[in-house]
Parts: sequence; C-alpha cells; structure tokens
Amino acid sequence: MPAQSPAEGLNDRGRSQVPRWLRIALIGRNPKVTLVRAAVLAVLCFIVFKFILLHIRVEGISMLPTYADGSAHFVNQLAYLWHEPRRGDVVGIRFSGGVTNTPTGVHQAANWLEPPHVMLLKRIVGLPGETIAFVNGQAVINGQVLDEPYEKLPCDWNLPPETLGPDEYFVVGDNRSMPPELHMFGKARRDQIVGKAIL
Amino acid sequence: MRIVFRCILLAVLAALGVWLWFVLFPGPERLIRQRLMKLANTASFSSGESNFARLAAAQSLAGFFATNVEVDINVPGRVQHTLVGRDDIQQAALGARERLSGLKVAFPDINITVAPDKQSATVDLTVEVSITGEHDSIVQEMKFTFQNTEDGWLIARVETVRTLS
Repeated sequence: MPAQSPAEGLNDRGRSQVPRWLRIALIGRNPKVTLVRAAVLAVLCFIVFKFILLHIRVEGISMLPTYADGSAHFVNQLAYLWHEPRRGDVVGIRFSGGVTNTPTGVHQAANWLEPPHVMLLKRIVGLPGETIAFVNGQAVINGQVLDEPYEKLPCDWNLPPETLGPDEYFVVGDNRSMPPELHMFGKARRDQIVGKAIL
Repeated sequence: MRIVFRCILLAVLAALGVWLWFVLFPGPERLIRQRLMKLANTASFSSGESNFARLAAAQSLAGFFATNVEVDINVPGRVQHTLVGRDDIQQAALGARERLSGLKVAFPDINITVAPDKQSATVDLTVEVSITGEHDSIVQEMKFTFQNTEDGWLIARVETVRTLS
C-alpha cells in the first residue's frame, strides 16, 4: 500500500467534499487555463474601464430629467476618435484642463492616460462658429430656434447672443428651470471634452 | 540562467535606486503635490473639535500660504470672498470650523506647471468640498500660484477659474 502524506490525504478529502460540477463551474476543467483567462479578463476590464469607458455618478440636478441625481453612467472616451462632437450629444467635460504649455498631442495623450476624477456632464447645443442665444427659454442658433425634444422642464432664460470660436462648443444642462446663475453652462474648448455619455 | 538572474537582479536594483532617488530628492512637482495633499487634510475637519484644536488647525492652515497671499474666491450663486494675508486665512478657517459641523476637502485632479527657474509654479486643480449635512458637494476649478521660499513651496495666490467661459 503506497504511503500517503497528511497533506495529500487532506487534499483528497477536500476534493471529495466539493461536487465535481461545482468545481468545474468555479475553476473550470483546467485550473491553469482558467487562471490565464481570469488574468486576461482582469487586464481587459482594467483597460476598458480605465481608459475607454469611464464610470460616472451624476451629482446634482442640472441634467434632469435625462440624468437623475445619483444615477450611474459611462463616458466613452473613444466616441470622438473618428468624428467631432455633434449637437445634442451629452458629453463629459474636464475641469482641470488648463495645461497650456504642453504641445497639443502630448496634452491629448496625457488627458487620455489620466482621465479626470471629476467632470461636468452637459449637452452640446452650439457648434464651433455658431451664434447662440436664449430667447424666452428657447435656444436660438444662428437665428433659428433649436428643436430640443429632450427639454421637458419649463425655462424662461433670456441670454444675449454669443458667437463661438473655431474650437468652442456651447454646452448646457437639460434642467433649465433653475435660474441661469445657479446653472453652469457656456463655452467649452474641444480639449475639455472627455467623451460622450452613454447608457 | 545565471545571466538572466543577474539581469533581473540588476533591473530590480536599478528600479530601487531610481525610486530611492525620487524619495530622497523629490522634484518640485512632487513636493507641491505632497503640499496640496497636506493642505486638503488640514482644511478638512469633523465635529467635536476643541477650541484649542480649532485654533491650532487654523494656524497650521495659514502656514501653507505666503505672508502676502491673495485669495480670490468667486463661486457664482455660492460664495464670493477676497482674503489678503495669512491673518485673513486664519480667521476664515477659524470661522468655518466654528460655523460648520464638518468639512471634507479634496483635490482630485491636479495639473502642475513649474516655471523654468523652479522658483514658482502654477497649479490648475479641481477642489471638491463636502460639507457635513449638505447633499451636494461643491466642485470648483481653481488656479494656485506657488512660490519657492526658504520655508518651502508656499501658496502666493489662489483664484477661481470659470470652467465654461
């Protein structure tokens, strides 16, 4: 009869206690392959949720009713890789984007590698070069009233026309029932836009 | 095998050396970052502080600033303040500690630009302030100007920045 060490005996006992189907469900048929798969999945999750999809939690009521206070969403950092931001997009806007003495390419790379922890969530209503005003609560772009189906709350804002620069977007929250002085809105530079809000 | 082991050992030693160098001789950016972390900790407080602790914390907070510091805070709809000198800072800190039951200050995103002569630096950062009992925290972009003095890096100017112009 072959000799058996106490540890081996313990392992055998441990194995016999766990049903085979549960062991396969938990660690797979081949634990080494499962380990590699788990490592690849972990790296993939890290890359996706660190550099591509930023998890955000909305704080405040400025995006009501589209985004409720406390709700969780994602910002896709790759959304504007192939095209520029569009009117109606809800975007994340970085606060501390004021690195001015760094070349643009380096700055953009740094922005991507070090996404902000805190950002604004606003909707783009004005595109570069356009003139925007608010008349009786309605956004007016280049003299034309903007159709905003997402606007559900009453608004009585009257703001003088402003012309956007070649690199500027006019962003504003969806909740314009609050007084303009309590609502953060205005021109955002292209390099301040982190990505497009999704989900 | 022995060569590979030696190479790995060499790489580890080199990494350790670089790490030690940065720990023992931190650059201006690292020093300023550390200073800001300490500032956030000193400015934060919870309820139940004694009067002596309040005074000590307010004095400690003033020590982060240059004697001729100018703080210009303008948060639309919230607060508008201009403070000049360490005494103003100390009084404001003391007042906040007496008035509020708790405050948590954090600087989540920091961009530091050190001047070529390494005697001054500009810091663009986000200030996140949570007041105990208030649901929403205050988030504001700010610009700090640091000066390299005999007492280390001190804040010479603080101003609020409009994120959306």
